[in-house]
Amino acid sequence: MQIDIIDYESCSAAGVNLSALRTSLRQHQSGLIKNNLPGSDLDTWIGVVGQVSAVNDLGEWQSRNNRLAALGYEQGTIRSTVSGLINKYGAARIGLIMGSSTSSIDRTEEAYTKLNSENALTDEFRQPFVHNPHAPALFAAHLSGIKGPSLTINTACSSSAKVFATGSRWLETGIVDAVLVGGVDTLCLSVLHGFDSLQLLSPDPCKPFDQHRNGINLGEASGFAVLQRAGENDNAKGIRLTGYGESSDAYHMSHPHPDGLGARLSMTQALDRAGLPPSAIDYVNLHGTSSRANDLIEGKLISELFPGSVSCSSTKAWMGHTLGAAGITEAIIAMDTLQTNVIPGSKNLEILDEALNFSIKATDEPKVCQHVMTNSFGFGGNNCTLLFSRTG
Amino acid sequence: MQSKTLKCKIAGIGAWGSYFESWQALQALLNGASLPETKLKGPKPDIIPANERRRAPLPVKLAVASSWQATQDAGVEADTLTCVFASGLGDTDLTDYMCKTLASEHKALSPTKFHNSVHNAPAGYWTISTGTMKAANSVAGYENLVSLTLLEAMIQCETENTPMLLTFYDAPVAQILTPVLPNQETFAFSLVVFPHSADVEGPLLTANVEQQEHTTWPALQSKSDYLRRLYAANPAAKILSLAELLEQPKRDIVVPLSSGTALTFSCEK
Repeated sequence: MQIDIIDYESCSAAGVNLSALRTSLRQHQSGLIKNNLPGSDLDTWIGVVGQVSAVNDLGEWQSRNNRLAALGYEQGTIRSTVSGLINKYGAARIGLIMGSSTSSIDRTEEAYTKLNSENALTDEFRQPFVHNPHAPALFAAHLSGIKGPSLTINTACSSSAKVFATGSRWLETGIVDAVLVGGVDTLCLSVLHGFDSLQLLSPDPCKPFDQHRNGINLGEASGFAVLQRAGENDNAKGIRLTGYGESSDAYHMSHPHPDGLGARLSMTQALDRAGLPPSAIDYVNLHGTSSRANDLIEGKLISELFPGSVSCSSTKAWMGHTLGAAGITEAIIAMDTLQTNVIPGSKNLEILDEALNFSIKATDEPKVCQHVMTNSFGFGGNNCTLLFSRTG
Repeated sequence: MQSKTLKCKIAGIGAWGSYFESWQALQALLNGASLPETKLKGPKPDIIPANERRRAPLPVKLAVASSWQATQDAGVEADTLTCVFASGLGDTDLTDYMCKTLASEHKALSPTKFHNSVHNAPAGYWTISTGTMKAANSVAGYENLVSLTLLEAMIQCETENTPMLLTFYDAPVAQILTPVLPNQETFAFSLVVFPHSADVEGPLLTANVEQQEHTTWPALQSKSDYLRRLYAANPAAKILSLAELLEQPKRDIVVPLSSGTALTFSCEK
C-alpha cells in the first residue's frame, strides 16, 4: 500500500522547526555544543534544544521528554493538520504511534535525586502516566485529542522509523483514516553515562564515516508526520512512503552484525516493497552514527548494494544521534530533499574511511530526487529502512 | 474506508508465572485447580546461550521462556516468526539501578546493564538466541498494552501474510516505583499466530475495532484470588481475558483499546 505524507515537522538542536532545520542544513551550521548537561562532567558534545526551557507548565505530565514533544507539536502546521483531520473523520478514526527509547526516564532520574527522608517518591513525582515506557503516546494523545489506537514503539534507535511501517499497516486495514506518527527522545544522564560506559562517546564534534572519527555525539529531538492512504487528501505534500524494511541482526545486544546482514535485509526489503532496483534510489540518509563499527559496516554494505550514482550522507553532525527520535528526524531530512531539491552533504567529513569506497561527500548536491531512503539501526540488532518517493 | 475484520489462527501458546510454568498449568488454574504450595522463583530458558543467560534480567528470561514454549507448542521453527514483544512496565529493576547510580556521586554505569535496559532487550535476546532475522517489534501501551499489541500483531499477520510470535511479560516493580506502578506479580504469556488462510490447526481468533468510549476490562470468570490479583495488577496479564475466551469460546469479549475505541474478540475452535 502507498501512503501519502500530509504534513511533517522536526525539532532538534539543528532547528526548532523544519524551516530552521532547512536553514541550518544550507548554512552547514551545527547545533552541537560542549556537554553542559547539569550533573554530567563527561567530555563530549551534545545537541540540546534550548527552547525546551520555555515549556514548563505540563502539571502531572511534566518531564523533559514531554516538554520536547509539546514544543515539537506546536511547530509548523502539525497541530492544525491533526485538528482538521479530527474534525473531518472523528477523533476515534485517527491513530497515534510514537517512537522513543528514553520515554520519560529523565523525570524518573530527577525523582530519584529528590526522594524524601524515607527514600520514597515525593508527591510531585508520583506521576503514573510519566514513569512508564508508554508515556510518549499517552502524552501525545492528551496533546492532540486523538482517541484512536495509540501505541508506543520502543526499539531503541530504530523506534521512530518503525512508526512509519506500523502506521502504513494500520491504514491498510482501514482501522483508522489518518495516523499521527512521531518520535521523541531527550538528553538525560541515563543515555550520556550509558553510552559512555560503552566507550562510544566522542570528545569532539562527531565525524561520520571519516577516517579519524572517534565516536558519537548524543542529541535530543522530537518530530511528527501525518500519514493517510494515498490519494485521500488533496493537501498531501507530494511525498509517498513507498517502502519499508524491518529486520533483526540476531547477533549482539549492542554491537552491529559484522557483515551487516540485518541491515542488508531491511534495505532490500524496502526496495522490494517499493518494487525498485537499487539504482533507482537518488539519496540515502545513512544511520552514520560516527562510531567506528557502525560506519564501517554500513558504508561497506552501501557499496555492495548500491551503484556509485546513489548519493549518501549522514546528517548526525548537525544535531547528534537523537536515539529513538533519530528515525523520524532523518526520515524528515530525507523526504524533505524531495521539496528542497538539495541533498545535504555529510557534515564534518574530511577524509573518507580508507576501508570504504562509496558516494559520500561533505558538500551539498542540488538534485531533483525521485526516490530517497533512510536507515535506522538500534540496540538489540533492530533495523528499519524507509523509502520515500515523489508522487507521480 | 471500513475497518477490516482481523483474523488469525492460534497455533501455539506459552505461559509462565509464579504458580505455573506452562500453558497447561495455567489452564488448570483457570479451570479452578488450587494453587500449588510452592511459588516458583524464575524461569531458566535453556535456549539462551549460558553466557548470555547469566546476564539476562528477569523480564528477558520470562519473555524468552514463554516464547520458546509457544513455538514448541506450535511446532514451528522460531526463526520463521516475526515478533512483537510487549511490556507495560519495562525492566523497573534496571530503571531503579540506573536512577540510583545516576543520583549518586559515582555515575559510572555497567555497560551490560545499560544495554539490557532498552525496552527491546527481550526481543534482542530472543532473536540472538534463536537466530531470528525477522522484524522484531517491542511496544508499550500502559493499561491497554494487551489490546494494542493484539491489534498491532493481527494487523501485521494479515497485511504481511506472515506468522507471528506475540509475547506479553511484566515483572514485579522495584520498591521505590511501586507508588506509581504497583505490580508485584510475575507473568509472561505467548501466542504463535498464523494468517487465517494458513493450513495450520488451531482456534480462529476474530477481532473488530469499534468506536466506543469508557470501555473497561471485563471481569475474569475465574474465582481464583491469585488470578484476579494478577489480572488487576500486571499489565501483561490482561491477556488472561483472552486466555479465558480460548477456554470457553461461546461468547464475545469486548476490551478497551483507546479512549475512543474498543476491540471485540470472538473465537471458534
